[in-house]
Amino acid sequence: MRAHRKPVSLLAAGLLILGVAPAALAEVVVIANPATQVAATDVEEIFLGEKQFAGSTKLVPVDNGPQQEAFLGKVLKLDSNKYNSKWAKKSFREGLNPPAVKSGDAEVIDYVKRTPGAIGYVASAPTGVTVVQKY
Amino acid sequence: MTTRSTKALSALGAALMVAAAPAMAAGPDADARIRELERKLERSMQMIESLQGEVQTLKAAKAGEAPAAAAAAATAVNAEQSAKIENLERQVAQLGSGLSARGTDDGVGLHGFADVGLSRSGENNPVYGRGNKGFNLGSFDLYLTPKFGTNVRSLIELVFEVDRTGAVNTDLERLQVGYAFNDGVTAWLGRFHTPYGYWNTAYHHGAQIQTSVLRPRFLDFEDKGGILPAHTTGAWATGTFHLGVGKLGYDAYLGNASHIDAGGTLDMKMAGDAKYRTMGGVNAWYSPKALSALRLGVHGLRGTVEADAGNASPGLTRLNMYGGYGVFLDDDWEALAEYYRFDNTNLTGGTGSHQSSAWYAQLGRSFGSFTPYGRIERTSLDQADNYFAQQANGRSYNRSVIGLRYEVDPKSALKVELNRTKKKDLGAGVADDGYNEAYIQYSIRF
Repeated sequence: MRAHRKPVSLLAAGLLILGVAPAALAEVVVIANPATQVAATDVEEIFLGEKQFAGSTKLVPVDNGPQQEAFLGKVLKLDSNKYNSKWAKKSFREGLNPPAVKSGDAEVIDYVKRTPGAIGYVASAPTGVTVVQKY
Repeated sequence: MTTRSTKALSALGAALMVAAAPAMAAGPDADARIRELERKLERSMQMIESLQGEVQTLKAAKAGEAPAAAAAAATAVNAEQSAKIENLERQVAQLGSGLSARGTDDGVGLHGFADVGLSRSGENNPVYGRGNKGFNLGSFDLYLTPKFGTNVRSLIELVFEVDRTGAVNTDLERLQVGYAFNDGVTAWLGRFHTPYGYWNTAYHHGAQIQTSVLRPRFLDFEDKGGILPAHTTGAWATGTFHLGVGKLGYDAYLGNASHIDAGGTLDMKMAGDAKYRTMGGVNAWYSPKALSALRLGVHGLRGTVEADAGNASPGLTRLNMYGGYGVFLDDDWEALAEYYRFDNTNLTGGTGSHQSSAWYAQLGRSFGSFTPYGRIERTSLDQADNYFAQQANGRSYNRSVIGLRYEVDPKSALKVELNRTKKKDLGAGVADDGYNEAYIQYSIRF
């Protein structure tokens, strides 16, 4: 029984590392529709509704449910409660709707590819879209 | 195939050598036979060279065919796999769209606020007498933000409120339809929150999103103690310019001029007026990039306001308000201050211009889920100014407020608030009315 303790501990440590490390090191890639010109410095204002146009193109930010926590923490420096609170005030004051929440990378990529002005974020850089910034 | 061809040629060569050997060992008349054999050997060698050439040609042809065929096969497989992956991605995306937490831009956003609570007030109300206490309903506010196109916007807000008599009043609080040209210009038409200062457009009926229970009294709604038209029916242009060092925003609006009705309340005349007059204003603010939590602004409002028949002194007043404000809102601190200066002119009575002022300053600090806060309010309203004299709430007052807000969860808050208020300028021989109030409010948003 004692002989099994070390391997079990190592396994637990390994699982812990595997479980925690990817979240801590996860990459967030902001992507945009290829026809849309977006600067990395504008990403925060776009997702907070402060910047709504790129030239004459209406910007359409979309959130990515599974990646949202990482995005908010790394890019906007907010938690989801503060993010939602900011949008509640913005919506009440200006009649804007918060970004639609997509179910994952596949849906975000599909939406961004086919929607002019769309901007979203995913876990790894796909093809067929403009990579605005990696975080 | 290639190996077999080479073996056949070698065997043919060996056979010819064997055939030639007996001739070499024959007698003196063998010269003719030898020459004949040499010719045969030469023809055989030519045949061998010809066959070798054909073998090389076949080898080269075979070597060229193989990569092309392999490449064609690989391309076909890749195309098939790409089609399958694309189809799978589309299916996942379609499946995901059904699971999305929020709708798309094509949907109708429905949001709202509600608040309930209890209060105890010692105010001496001219109509209802001194004091009021008990459980009460605040307001139930529904607002919709449907979208009709890329640039078209709309905001529709409906409010249900319980008044002092217990009756439920319904108000079409906002009905505005707009068009966003770009970040710099969005044009609205309809009924909207008059964009002066900060509080009136930022919080208005949103009890849950404002830290305190009560608004500053002089900025309250027209029928709740406010001295300014909190709503306008007209046109409004608003926008923001992104400068390198910060953001510059503006509001410019024009609408129907308010009246003071026979009950002493500002009426925004949202159905128009037989004697049409306009009221308009501007609001400009700046927020530095280095300190984005800070917003500094200036504002002004001008119009001709008529006190209707039924008031003690009907007539026209030129309302001329201007002032400034500063707001600092970050994760921990909240600081708000607004100043309003009035330089109104009596157009009917000929009493000239009158100066008045009103301001408040509020400070709050968050400690986790708790936010203690305090506010002071001061007004000095000239009672010779018909604009204030005819309003039921146009008396000067001082108020000091302290409170504690607790975030029950991100969408609901429990607040406890105490204030001390002193109403002044109540009339010749009427003493100032000083009283205390206590409020508990439970507010939600959705």
